[in-house]
Amino acid sequence: MKMEEMRLSGPDNTKLEALMQDIYSELVEDACLGLCFEVHRAVKQGYFFLDETDQESMKEFEIVDQPGVDIFGQVFNQWKNKECECPNCRRLIAASRFAPHLEKCLGMGRNSSRIASRRLASNNNMSKSESDQEDNDDVNDNDWSYGAEKKAKKRKSDKNQNSPRRSKSLKHKNGELGSSIASESYKYNYNTGISYESLGPDEVRSLLTTQCGVISEHTKKMCTRSQRCPQHTDEQRRTVRVFLLGPSAPALPDAELESSSFDIPDGPSLMSRLQWEDSSDISPADSASSKASANHSDSRRPKKKKRPALGLSSAGGSGGLAEGGGGMGGSQSNLSLMTKKKKPKISAAFISSIYDDMN
Amino acid sequence: MSKDYQLRAAINQKLIEMGERERLKELLRAKLVECGWKDQLKAHCKDVIREKGLDHVTVEDLVTDVTPKGRGSARLKHNSRGVSVCVCVSVSTLCLLFSPLQLSYRTA
Repeated sequence: MKMEEMRLSGPDNTKLEALMQDIYSELVEDACLGLCFEVHRAVKQGYFFLDETDQESMKEFEIVDQPGVDIFGQVFNQWKNKECECPNCRRLIAASRFAPHLEKCLGMGRNSSRIASRRLASNNNMSKSESDQEDNDDVNDNDWSYGAEKKAKKRKSDKNQNSPRRSKSLKHKNGELGSSIASESYKYNYNTGISYESLGPDEVRSLLTTQCGVISEHTKKMCTRSQRCPQHTDEQRRTVRVFLLGPSAPALPDAELESSSFDIPDGPSLMSRLQWEDSSDISPADSASSKASANHSDSRRPKKKKRPALGLSSAGGSGGLAEGGGGMGGSQSNLSLMTKKKKPKISAAFISSIYDDMN
Repeated sequence: MSKDYQLRAAINQKLIEMGERERLKELLRAKLVECGWKDQLKAHCKDVIREKGLDHVTVEDLVTDVTPKGRGSARLKHNSRGVSVCVCVSVSTLCLLFSPLQLSYRTA
């Protein structure tokens, strides 16, 4: 390369060399200038001397290289047995267990919220008296209506027959039931589920042939699951069918098909629909007394012997009362009337009373 | 002399146009960082700045102080000599490109 260059440039070799040197020094100066700018900028921005440390601090922050000690000269597992104080219950808890404890203590979890609220209530005197008050309220709610109290007593006596789960759920609902009556919650919610009041008799029947249809005490809506839904018993389904389609309607879905041509069940339900406007103002006390009367009579018997009473009521309405055969028949027709009157205002109490009767 | 100047200007322009100058500059910078020239100059800058005080430093001061030293040490650095060879090659090829100019220069 050099030879070629020399040969080509010939006598201008020195001049070319000088040219080359000029360009090279220019490049070097460029680099120097770049460096100068860089340094100047660093000085003006104040980060030029940042990496400089005096000997003292260098010694202080020297990397420690000893066994059992981290690079800062600290024992590296000193946090292992650290204990933290819970801000809520003032107990000392191992750091590794602190988060789970806090969750329980403050009640952030699913189950722990209940535990925590209970604990808070027991810890705090003020809240304790408050909760006592609430308990009293609950008792009052239970006793608010005569029927509810009676049912509660009756349930206690029946407890052996009921499965524990069922009796528990009923008992639980009883408390809510009292309060729902007390708060005059007569307005039904039509937003979700199926409200049986809004359906015509044909619709009700077609619904009951395909679905479980048990009316929930809680939401007052019909169950929309299949007829074999495990949540409700056959007894409940039967009761609902007796209640909605009239007593002569076959209770079990299997028998329902046979009664498709049977017209009588429409009678009472139609009548009850006509009577809605008249009996729109039934007070809670009324419902309670009606429940009481319903409780007195056996529900099995009306189911079997309903035929004559039904005919009477469909023929003459309330006039059928007087003609209602013996004392037993009279009480049955009375019950059926009550049933019809109750229909627009079917309260959870009434439904549960039906369930009670079955037990 | 004007011809000399003309040739130098032509070559410089050609180097810039081709991007060869930028390439060479980058190469030189890399080589200088590699061989510690930059750190050396930086240390020198530190001394200069300490001398003058942090607030009284200007770019001109730095340039006048640093450039001669930088030029001298760059010449000494073995690594950066490779750059000078590269410069030599690129300039001589450019000279070949400018042969008519050179011819006229030679005849003159």
